[in-house]
Amino acid sequence: MAETSYWEGSDKYLCDRELAQAFHMARTLGMPLLIEGEPGTGKTELPIHYSNDRKLDLHVYPVGSKSNVDQFVARFDHVKYLRDSQIEILNAQRAEKDLETKLSTGGRNPESLADYVVKGPATQAFQSPNSVLLIDEIDKAPREFPNDLLYALSHRKFIMPESGETIEVSEEEMPAIVITSNREQELPTAFKGRCIYHYIHFPDQEVMRQIVEKHHPTINEKVVDVALDVFYHLRRVGLDRAPTTREILNWLKYIKPLAPKEAIQKIEKLEGIGALIKTQTDLERIQQGVLRNPQDFMRRSTPN
Amino acid sequence: MFNSLPAYFRNYGLNADVRTLLVLRKAVEKNLVKTLGDVYNVLKGIIVKEPTEIGPFTRAYYKYFLNIDILNGEKLDDAILRSETFKQWKNKYLEEADQEFDESLEDLINRFLDQVHLTHYDIKELVSGSKIFDEDNPDLEDQEDNSNSFAASAERPLNKMADYSDLSLEELLERLEKIRAQQRSKHSGGSHWIGTGGISAYGHGGAAKDGIRVGGTGGGKMARKVMGNSNFFPIDMDSILSDNNVDAVLNSIKGVVEESAFEKLDVPGTIKTGLQRGGLFIPEMRHDKNEKLQIIVLIDNGGWSMAPYIKTVRDLFKKMKTRFSHDLKTYYFHNTIYDVVFSDPNRSKAVPIDKLLLNDKNYRVFIIGDAAMSPYELDRRSIRNWQAIQKKFKKTVWLNPEPVKYWNHTYTTQVLRQIINMFPLTIRGIEQAVLEMNRQKA
Repeated sequence: MAETSYWEGSDKYLCDRELAQAFHMARTLGMPLLIEGEPGTGKTELPIHYSNDRKLDLHVYPVGSKSNVDQFVARFDHVKYLRDSQIEILNAQRAEKDLETKLSTGGRNPESLADYVVKGPATQAFQSPNSVLLIDEIDKAPREFPNDLLYALSHRKFIMPESGETIEVSEEEMPAIVITSNREQELPTAFKGRCIYHYIHFPDQEVMRQIVEKHHPTINEKVVDVALDVFYHLRRVGLDRAPTTREILNWLKYIKPLAPKEAIQKIEKLEGIGALIKTQTDLERIQQGVLRNPQDFMRRSTPN
Repeated sequence: MFNSLPAYFRNYGLNADVRTLLVLRKAVEKNLVKTLGDVYNVLKGIIVKEPTEIGPFTRAYYKYFLNIDILNGEKLDDAILRSETFKQWKNKYLEEADQEFDESLEDLINRFLDQVHLTHYDIKELVSGSKIFDEDNPDLEDQEDNSNSFAASAERPLNKMADYSDLSLEELLERLEKIRAQQRSKHSGGSHWIGTGGISAYGHGGAAKDGIRVGGTGGGKMARKVMGNSNFFPIDMDSILSDNNVDAVLNSIKGVVEESAFEKLDVPGTIKTGLQRGGLFIPEMRHDKNEKLQIIVLIDNGGWSMAPYIKTVRDLFKKMKTRFSHDLKTYYFHNTIYDVVFSDPNRSKAVPIDKLLLNDKNYRVFIIGDAAMSPYELDRRSIRNWQAIQKKFKKTVWLNPEPVKYWNHTYTTQVLRQIINMFPLTIRGIEQAVLEMNRQKA
């Protein structure tokens, strides 16, 4: 039976309720879950932690601008096949010349075409029941890719190139499919129609505190408070690139080894702010703001 | 079931069709839908495909299932307070509450929202507390019979669980529809969907009275947040271009990048690598990727009518340039083109029209102007120039900041429209212009 029990996150990963429910729904219905949201909100983390927690196989397909369905499903390795098929002739020639050394095909047999099929993550996922298949950053893909992909997935069946072997998976053992997107490119409507869609909202301060606790359980509470105040203030001032979850976690990692008092001082002086701010113009803006009015900058970090 | 749902949700600009119903049906079959909150969640997952659809979806949902009409820009709390549904729910709730009523209106709304958005996930967590209570409840055995009539009688015993596992899918679906119909009829609104005091009106479980923490389910909180945030509503596609929606335009203009993953046989590559392999020719494939984006922008910056748009338009194409870093040429003209265009906004550096026409024919030309001038200004020479531009650059469009309804009142606009495809300078207009461009072969 497919893994369709409700999963609420693990001790390492705080799964937003809505996301957990959407994920459960997708698995129960056997549809892919399409997750969108700001970068650094843990889209990719979901399937990773889920598969870790439930001890399931995880297959990852990182999408790039040259992705195509062949890579995703399976392709035939022509080069190896040609090489191996020549080896027999070569070996025969060598034998004629009384040469001892023989070339090896590494256990592959040119007679069996299946030996030369390189299976992609989709096929691998279909072959291991109840696995998890992550298709990461689908918005990077060429335009046709999403639709080709769904066509392939909706049949629950792949036919291997050249060998003609059929890889099939039952509805019950269908892998849990998670697709992430950063919305850099609009995905085709038909594609979205076949997915369960979930948009991750940016976590509010309360949720963020819980996330921080999962990642840095030992850190002083006060330090987290001050750091989160600064963090949410920076998100409010309208920077070109607002800092995200990933960045606050990194910043706290830097601050963590310090004694609380020292840490708070460092935070208030915005030390190591490079972990949060990623563009030069943003950095300049903030430095100017702080230089002009250092106390004020911090005080303003409470919502006005 | 819910035959009217797709059409109803489409009115809110959402994509709902027969497939929506099929997936919903499957979800009911798979036991995913047990409460009204579940209906919200499941439909959201199926229908919403963009963050900007969450707002319209929430509005459509409240109207369709709860008969609560959220007006444009209205806060969720206000809409609920206004509604008949809430009033009836409140009366019933207060009636059934044993203890003295000491809750503020705000608490009441929270409780109402919690019950609207109560999902079966919440119940599973909460029921354990009431389970003990239920175990020594003698009525539990009878519950199965009672459950059939619960839709008709609003008086339901609290803290009991109803078990519908014997019912067929069809019966369940029928019931869902029936409750919805009753919810929308004026006389018996109120608590058909939403249990007062915590029992779920539809489904396997219920929670004990006070079993739900206020604000505990989260769904209501989110709905509230969505209603107050413009990010969850679509940008008005027909609004005129401004600094605020330049980024949205940029997204639509992205369509001018032609990309494809088609593979082509790379003949020179195959020969080269084949020779390197000692005569073993293996077909080399090459991605046929065409990202050539060459753009000419012709901006009418004369006359006061164009003044408000020049900065925005320039910003738009500047942003575009940094985003795509392709070939972009900007020229200026006043009202119409005679023999020259200008390469600077002050119109001091003239570029002969013939030189402009020497550009590669693959350039895409955007002309931005109101096309309105005195009829004598648009003389035969000028018309010939526009025709020449259109003839040379097949992918030419005119973007007009004037509202479409005025176009027919201006003679010159009508004339120019006949020569060059004209679109309004709105987000939707630009989107259509880009689509039209992509249709033309250079």
